[in-house]
Amino acid sequence: MVTMSNTLKKRNLFGGLYTVPAMILLIMLLIVPLGYTLYCSLFPFKYMMRGSFQGLNNFIEILKSPRIQYSFYITFIVTFSATAISIVVGLLLALWIDKRTGLFAYWIQLIGLIPWVISMVVAGLLWRWLFNVDLGLFNVIIRAFGWNTIDVVNKRIPAIIGLIFVMSWRTIGYAMVMILAGLKGIDADLIEAAQIDGASPVQTLFRIKLPIIKSSVLLSTIVLTVSNFTNNTVPKVLTGGGPVNATNVVTLEQYNLSFVYYEFGRSSALSILIMIVTILIIAAYIKVAKFEI
Amino acid sequence: MDKISKTRIKALKVSLEYIFAILFGIFNMIPVFWGIITSIKPLREISRIPPRLTGFAPTLSHYITVLNGPFIESILNSLLYAILAILMGVILGYLAAYGFARRKFPLKGLLFFIVVVGIPLSGGSSVLLIPNYLYLLKLRLTNHWYTLPLIYAAYNMPMAIWLLIAGVKAVPIEMEEAANIDGVSQFYIVSWLIPPLIKPSLAAAALFIFIGSWNDYITASVMVSGNLKAIQQAIYEYMGYFGIEWGRLTAAATLAILPILAVFTFAGRQLVSGLTAGAVKG
Repeated sequence: MVTMSNTLKKRNLFGGLYTVPAMILLIMLLIVPLGYTLYCSLFPFKYMMRGSFQGLNNFIEILKSPRIQYSFYITFIVTFSATAISIVVGLLLALWIDKRTGLFAYWIQLIGLIPWVISMVVAGLLWRWLFNVDLGLFNVIIRAFGWNTIDVVNKRIPAIIGLIFVMSWRTIGYAMVMILAGLKGIDADLIEAAQIDGASPVQTLFRIKLPIIKSSVLLSTIVLTVSNFTNNTVPKVLTGGGPVNATNVVTLEQYNLSFVYYEFGRSSALSILIMIVTILIIAAYIKVAKFEI
Repeated sequence: MDKISKTRIKALKVSLEYIFAILFGIFNMIPVFWGIITSIKPLREISRIPPRLTGFAPTLSHYITVLNGPFIESILNSLLYAILAILMGVILGYLAAYGFARRKFPLKGLLFFIVVVGIPLSGGSSVLLIPNYLYLLKLRLTNHWYTLPLIYAAYNMPMAIWLLIAGVKAVPIEMEEAANIDGVSQFYIVSWLIPPLIKPSLAAAALFIFIGSWNDYITASVMVSGNLKAIQQAIYEYMGYFGIEWGRLTAAATLAILPILAVFTFAGRQLVSGLTAGAVKG
């Protein structure tokens, strides 16, 4: 750092020691396990019994499996739909709240974050209860309109829509808060100058606000994509991957391969594939966020 | 347009905004409301078709049943896990943040890269689920009282470091220099001088670790069992044991939400500013 003075620079050599304990924990639990999993993925590995080296066989097998291909397909659909809904609705809400200040805006943000701070197990089971075909509030309302009840969790298309809905519900407030922070960062003089020059509200929005908040929108999009892509708790609790395997997202398949079928070689290979996709998204994140130290 | 109709339109706009805000609140809270209502309904009322919102005699019997069972043990377990993870995460995270903010050292760029990569991972720890399971099993580190605190501290550490770097950087460097000239030891500066000045960042880091630890289900479900069970794990398992006994399940869920909502109401400002610390940068 340029501004740092000599008294502090003297100790530079040992400065790294401050970070050592935290970094040991991070490396032991974030980096090393990845290497070990890569190693495990190269062996047949069933019921904790490791066979002899077989190269990329596990990868080839899982990529060939129609079941896992479907899992990737449904995961992409769910991830992108849920992320898109959260971002669009979050953006609209942020543009609305941006006009207000004080307690009103603060409470809207807090309420918006509630779905995000309560646990996914609780959120998943509460929605499952709400969607219950006989006793849930959702179907009470449906019946009040005189329509036929929908068994959301046990019908293919409603289950997929329900999963996308609950995942979007969780993160709309998060997107709103993140995008709002970007809007608050806009210099008020800039907007005023545009208005004096006769820019309409629509022009101000598209020509000034949106270009400036582009990076905060992009950043929340990336965070939510990773979060939705790797989310296995909501599908596990809400639909359990069903009906049949309609909502069997890839992280659920990974969980089942390990803890239902004990196919640890294959689940390691699948973990590596999930990891690769995640790392690609994170690479975009780092590029957008411009983290500096 | 005359004055009266103008004020009317304005009043209409404001009330529309409030209606919209209330609808937004209902949308966000509805599963929680519905869950709380179910949790205080007598058994017969829960299975009543169609269900009703009012007009039943509320009861705490589901809460009493839940709290007299092994659930209370899981609550205490999760509290312990969260407290240990917060202590570890905040102390180690603060030291690392101090190093990153105030020192130059070899490999700094690489180590900071690991921290940054870890931030989005902490949002969905299922990426590391199988890797850590296989690895910790090999080291015989699963199913101990310290297993989950270590993992939670590690998973939430990147975010904690990130928040605390911003905190440390906001402390004027001249202050440290002045203390140095006055002969104050480096140990005193790091452990007693700076922490009180960055209380909001410390609170935000603690809050993130608390939410992450308290709400985790998937990691706990593979790492610990028996009397080490975490709260979310216990709730999930209730779904199986009782053949989905919704009264007890919603009571347990309500109990699990309460501490989160309490902490959130008191420290919401820290959470919002912590969350957006990264967003405004880009």
